[in-house]
Amino acid sequence: MAHHSIYIVLFANTVKAGTILLFPTIGEIFAERAGILNLGVEGMMLIGAFVGFVVAYTTKNPYMGFLAGVLAGGFASLIHAFISITLRGNQIVSGLALTIFGGGFTTFYGQKWINMTLTHTLTPVKIPMLSSIPYIGMIFFNQDLIVYLSYIVVFVMWFILYKTRLGLNLRAVGENAKAANAMGISVYKVRYGWTFFGGLLAGAGGAYLTTAYAPFWLDGITAGRGWIAIALVIFAMWDPVKALVGAYLFGGINALQFQLQATGTTIPSAILNMLPYIGTFIVIIISSIIVKTRHIKPPKELGIPYIREEK
Amino acid sequence: MDEVILETRNITKVFPETIANKDISFKLRKGEIHALLGENGAGKTTLMNILYGIYLPTSGDILIKGKKVIIKNPLDAIRLGIGMIHQHFMLVDTLTVLENIILGLKEYGFVIDKKAVKKRLKEIENLYSLKVEPDVKVWQTAVGEQQKIEIIKVLFRGADILILDEPTAVLTPQETQSLFKILRKMKEDGKSIIFITHKLEEVMQIADTITVLRKGRLIKTLPKSETTKSQLAELMVGKTQTLDFSRKRPKSNEEILKIENLTVHSDKSLKSLKGVSLSVFKGEILGIAGISGNGQKELVQTVVGLKKAVQGKVVFNGIDITNKPPRYIAQAGINYIPADRLAMGVAPNLSTIDNAIMRRYYRFPLSKRGIMNYRKALAYTMMMAKAYKIKLDNPFAPIKLLSGGNMQKLILAREILENPKLLIASYPTRGLDIASTQFFRQKLIDIANKGKTIILVSEDLDEVLSLSDRIAVMYEGRIVGILNAKEADKNRLGLMMAGVKT
Amino acid sequence: MFYFEKRQQTPGYLKALIPIISLLLGLFIGALAILITGINPLLVYKGLFLNAFGSWYAFSETLVAAVPLILITSGLIVVFRMNVWNIGAYGQYIMGAIFSSYFALFASNGLSKPVMLTVMVIASMVGGAIWALIPTLLKIFWEVNEVITTLLLNYIALYILKFLMYGPWKNPSSYGFPLSKTFPDTAILPIIFKGTRLTIAIIFALLAVLVVWFLIKKSKFGYEVRVIGDNPLAARYAGISVNRNIIIGMAISGALAGLAGMTEVSGIVHYLQVKIGADYGYTSIIVAWIAYLDPLITVLASVLFGGLASGGYSIQITMRVSYGIVGLIESITLFSLVGAQIFLNYRIRWKNGSS
Repeated sequence: MAHHSIYIVLFANTVKAGTILLFPTIGEIFAERAGILNLGVEGMMLIGAFVGFVVAYTTKNPYMGFLAGVLAGGFASLIHAFISITLRGNQIVSGLALTIFGGGFTTFYGQKWINMTLTHTLTPVKIPMLSSIPYIGMIFFNQDLIVYLSYIVVFVMWFILYKTRLGLNLRAVGENAKAANAMGISVYKVRYGWTFFGGLLAGAGGAYLTTAYAPFWLDGITAGRGWIAIALVIFAMWDPVKALVGAYLFGGINALQFQLQATGTTIPSAILNMLPYIGTFIVIIISSIIVKTRHIKPPKELGIPYIREEK
Repeated sequence: MDEVILETRNITKVFPETIANKDISFKLRKGEIHALLGENGAGKTTLMNILYGIYLPTSGDILIKGKKVIIKNPLDAIRLGIGMIHQHFMLVDTLTVLENIILGLKEYGFVIDKKAVKKRLKEIENLYSLKVEPDVKVWQTAVGEQQKIEIIKVLFRGADILILDEPTAVLTPQETQSLFKILRKMKEDGKSIIFITHKLEEVMQIADTITVLRKGRLIKTLPKSETTKSQLAELMVGKTQTLDFSRKRPKSNEEILKIENLTVHSDKSLKSLKGVSLSVFKGEILGIAGISGNGQKELVQTVVGLKKAVQGKVVFNGIDITNKPPRYIAQAGINYIPADRLAMGVAPNLSTIDNAIMRRYYRFPLSKRGIMNYRKALAYTMMMAKAYKIKLDNPFAPIKLLSGGNMQKLILAREILENPKLLIASYPTRGLDIASTQFFRQKLIDIANKGKTIILVSEDLDEVLSLSDRIAVMYEGRIVGILNAKEADKNRLGLMMAGVKT
Repeated sequence: MFYFEKRQQTPGYLKALIPIISLLLGLFIGALAILITGINPLLVYKGLFLNAFGSWYAFSETLVAAVPLILITSGLIVVFRMNVWNIGAYGQYIMGAIFSSYFALFASNGLSKPVMLTVMVIASMVGGAIWALIPTLLKIFWEVNEVITTLLLNYIALYILKFLMYGPWKNPSSYGFPLSKTFPDTAILPIIFKGTRLTIAIIFALLAVLVVWFLIKKSKFGYEVRVIGDNPLAARYAGISVNRNIIIGMAISGALAGLAGMTEVSGIVHYLQVKIGADYGYTSIIVAWIAYLDPLITVLASVLFGGLASGGYSIQITMRVSYGIVGLIESITLFSLVGAQIFLNYRIRWKNGSS
């Protein structure tokens, strides 16, 4: 039994660590589907993580913290939306600016919060029936509410993308904005909406990190997870369900790395900490090769500003 | 029949530096097909884009059923019952036909009710014999099919005013006839149609009323019964001018280019050239006709080294140039005027100088040991502008500020000055006004008369017929036949372009 | 509602005005951010300014920070002009530092100073170039997005550095601090102004600028870069090898970032450690943009942002204002720069809802 429980803890932690990546990956998928490349995920996550932490700390309510972090991420994304949609600026550079902004903002205001720890964090809520399924129950259904929310988000977003008018409009705008406009769809509204959504979810990933997974504040606590999420978008080939697989894969690397460190391995910690980046690096190469050979294309309008014809 | 359904009053549209429409007033009556005739750049498309809410007029009014309306965006137009079929189809490639048809519609629910859509599709099929496969992705459909999708889209939105912008440009003559049949049926059902074209023959076939535009102004509106082709031609162009392409046709059996069994894949890994073999003889003009998208682009780009052949061989002047780099092929003596000026022919934001020297910047005297001599580059550009009558105010300004005709002249000059043995010109006169078109055709004849070989790719059958010595027709990645220009006529070419064996 | 109308000509003053306004906007928003924390922003900015430009020594420290910025940005300009996004200058900088440190730490025996320094310069440039070429080759062969790979390689380089500093290259007498032994004197760049930390690296930087300026404005390579940057299809059509130029550009970019890493360890720190100039890689992106990818303006912009960095470090110590303020000011400036590009090609027009 004890032997089994190590694995159950590992896999349960995999789901938790994966959730941090899952939210931003889904968010970025939808922003990119609308044609907006937002490289500011890392910055939005940091802002979400920081605001989430501060609000959870002061209200002593992790749910309030999570919600605040989500909103903060959303507001941060609006800067990028304004620059890349209304002002048609270079999306790569604007996204990088957002990442620098997130770092600067949280370093500046986070100075006095460093090393503080939350007293109230998200706690697991067992789902009756489901949680008693052997293994599966303990791994997937003995988690906190935000993890359950992430399951719902994956399913709902998949449904919206492929089955509804909302998703149709989104796909049309990302593949051929001019045609979408000619059919009476407001390209600007769709893009603003989904960029904001991407920001909300990036905020959610960050806030989940500081209200559940690592309930303390450190400068740069997201440690590149935003970039891993952006790489996962390619791994997922812009599909929300595949994003789940990718996020858990990297959640697994994180959890494993954590477990090894806790059990006192001889592998140097620098090498352990490098694992997720090496892993992402390899995965992005493999996914790119698959994308290229199978002729799966990124959204055609990705990164291209939409210019409604001169009126 | 007399009810005016749409009217424009003194529509004027000013763009920075150009007046696209000036004081245009015309009336569209219920149940008529109204042709808007004019050459490229006459302002037809601008006017229609104003009706469809893509542009706002600088001044003037639009009235629908006698009521003044403001059309700020396509959504307003759709709500007012206006439907538009653009010259370049507004379809999303990666979506299915059904998804494209209901794009932007709210009637089929938040969760899309496919059954209801298919039911409505069936009704339209019965009414107009317009049949499409709803669950196929658009990129898998043929061009003629795509136009049907566009028409169905308009019908789904319950439009009673239809605007078709150059709808026959991508159709074979036979497909054109079936389109006309559909349009007549729509007219019977009381719909009103604006038909934009520059083709006189089609106007005489389909239109009830004809409005001629020239240089942004409305020249005249007149019923078809009271006019003739030659009168329309005169109204359209101003003074008529016939050009005699006196062509010395040198007979030669010397094979300058030999293509054997050439197979090329498209971006989506489909075969876009399926074992093409072709011989081009020294001194001839070989026309390549076909609806665009049937492999012409792949054929030409493979010859000049921009696409890779997966099979087959290209031999030029005795040298195997298959899959050689573009510069190697250019130096061997093949030059190329690409189909899309702005996409490939020039670097639009760079200066005219930078664009003029693109073919020879790496050679002395323009550069020496890796260092450029921009003084020489300027001199070369000015010489080019003078010799080819390119209107060039500032050679340092971005080339995109030049007019289409001037830009195309520069590309032509750049390629010809390399003194090629073979010049490949893809759609060289597309989008040019009549004067530039004539200039171009004359130039091509001139250089052919000097013994150069030319491959002319064009979808304009008049152009192909009047310039070529021989005409090869492409259909679905194959050459379906080669005719001597003397024995070819439009009808025969049209059938071949549609894949019908003759 | 407002809308944008295309301009035919860009007024010259606008090109000069946009960077200035952007920087002022960055400072203004930064001031608001400081104000919220209850500190007087004017005092902070005064401190920042005095610590950056207020004395010869302060200015020399600004130049110390400007040197790596100039080196890195000169390289970035070459690739940015081809729309290749090297976000990995930080990783290339670290690799340059590691490669040159190897010779300083383990192969310095019997080499004279000029030879030693030459070896280190070459090693750093090779190290940086290798780190830049990995993502370049991946991009060329498999279309792997270089933004993500260059960025990931920053983290990987950082952890390689950490591994070395906590493990094999660790100075045994460093009391557990992650740093190497001090370099021998032959591996240290000579100071050119007494009493400052300015080394001959400043000459490297100016040379780099001149070389890049020459490449861009006068060479055949520069012409090809221009065509590729504006229209890669036209470049292919003209027979330009896009891939070859991207490889050359990235090698230059990586080599200069690597050299910057060498000047840091050999000129400033004198040993290898985990914290070496983390922000230069990102700040140089801002410098490149504010300078319109022009190598000569880069010098001026680098001094400006070098001052911001150097002054920022000082006020963190003297006024306890977090260094985060520098990131805030930089990011707002960059946002504003990117957003304002539209005014070079368009002007704003206002239109009432009706007409």
